[in-house]
Amino acid sequence: MTTPRPYALLAEITYRCPLHCPYCSNPVTALPVAASPCEAPRRPRDGGYSNGELTTDEWKRVIREAAALGVLQIGLSGGEPLARRDLGELIPAAREANLYTNLITSGIGLDDDRVRALRDAGLDSIQLSFQSDESSLADEIAGAHAHECKLDVAAKIREARIPLSLNFVIHRRNIDRLPQMIDLAEALGAERVELANVQFYGWAFRNRAALLPTLEQVDRARDIATAAKARLAGKIDIFYVLPDYHERRPKPCLNGWGRRYLTVNAVGDVLPCPNASSAIPHLRFENVRTRDLDWIWQESESFNRFRGTEWMPEPCRSCPQREIDFGGCRCQAALLTGDAANTDPVCELSPNRARVDAILHDINSSSDRARDWIYRVNPKSLDRRFATTP
Amino acid sequence: MGTTTISDSAELRLAEGVRLQTDSVTGKSVLLYPEGIVELNETAHEILARCDGRTLAEIVQALAEEYDAEIDALAADVRDTLSDLQRRKLVELR
Repeated sequence: MTTPRPYALLAEITYRCPLHCPYCSNPVTALPVAASPCEAPRRPRDGGYSNGELTTDEWKRVIREAAALGVLQIGLSGGEPLARRDLGELIPAAREANLYTNLITSGIGLDDDRVRALRDAGLDSIQLSFQSDESSLADEIAGAHAHECKLDVAAKIREARIPLSLNFVIHRRNIDRLPQMIDLAEALGAERVELANVQFYGWAFRNRAALLPTLEQVDRARDIATAAKARLAGKIDIFYVLPDYHERRPKPCLNGWGRRYLTVNAVGDVLPCPNASSAIPHLRFENVRTRDLDWIWQESESFNRFRGTEWMPEPCRSCPQREIDFGGCRCQAALLTGDAANTDPVCELSPNRARVDAILHDINSSSDRARDWIYRVNPKSLDRRFATTP
Repeated sequence: MGTTTISDSAELRLAEGVRLQTDSVTGKSVLLYPEGIVELNETAHEILARCDGRTLAEIVQALAEEYDAEIDALAADVRDTLSDLQRRKLVELR
């Protein structure tokens, strides 16, 4: 099999974030283990990020290496990417490499000067997250007073004429407000809206009992999203992310492992999927401080482990859908069945589908819609990993 | 669902935040937009390369001359392609 080339790089440049959303996909331990414990901790050479985050120069190298591999798009994400002060260097580096550059942000910390600076640096677009359409619920979900600030930031982005996408993560507590969220996107002049049913990784997996919508909620939301997509065609491009557990066939996760996407996280680990380091901990992931991106993409065990169809067990191996859904999601298989090489248990043909049905049954038969969740906390273990250097 | 009909006098541009560039790996033309990539065939590329504020009629005329094509059939194809792209917020009309 010839190795495919990647199209998009997700750069999770920091795990620091002022919000505490209980569905955050960042690792719950915040420690993507790549280095063995006995390996000497590596410190950034230019000393800017003693918490272990890649330095500005290291990111610039990653950007160049990604472009050389064929990457056409970069998403600067996190955590909250604005927590880093070097976007004014990273964005021009991405533009110089001819990458389409998208900032994926909560908006917190974006004032007039900074918005203009991002635009002047060559940023192509901003994806701004919202937790709901109004303050009380949105701030409760974010675990911070953020909503009013986001409204202000959205206006500043439009004033600076940077294309604006909104992202709403949809879950049991806010899914009934989908029409109002779409109205908000319209009022703010967004070009695109992502209505993303929560996917259960990281903090969201931990909080799934509080976040999973009921079947009734999901059916209604699908109709609302479909109608809005038709009504707003040509005005707002609406992208509806399906509620995974409620489907009968699995999502074509990543369009195949190691096929189109790669993620580099805050400390330089290179992941086929942003959730892989926490969901599949026994797989060894490489780090950009010890290997170049080309080798990692082409040769590493982690990128080749689930590439193509050879690794597949039945029922995937002989399934006519195998090159359409690629067996679903490896992280989901690992989280729900304990083995990343199993068929995604969302698939109705999976021998483990009963595990998903049991979770759904529990939600649909419960009238309690306000179960507690655990808020995401900021990572401390990044510090721990790198704090031992004398 | 209403179908958008683009009039002959509509001015066409790439939508804000959409970039047309060459993919250095394949040498083919691609449209880049937030979290999305469309690989273009030659016809789509030739149409989009002319979406610089020209009207639909001007684009059709230019293509007809360039490719020595019959104008009515060409106009229908160009209109269909651009309507699809407009609905996806990849080109905008004025």
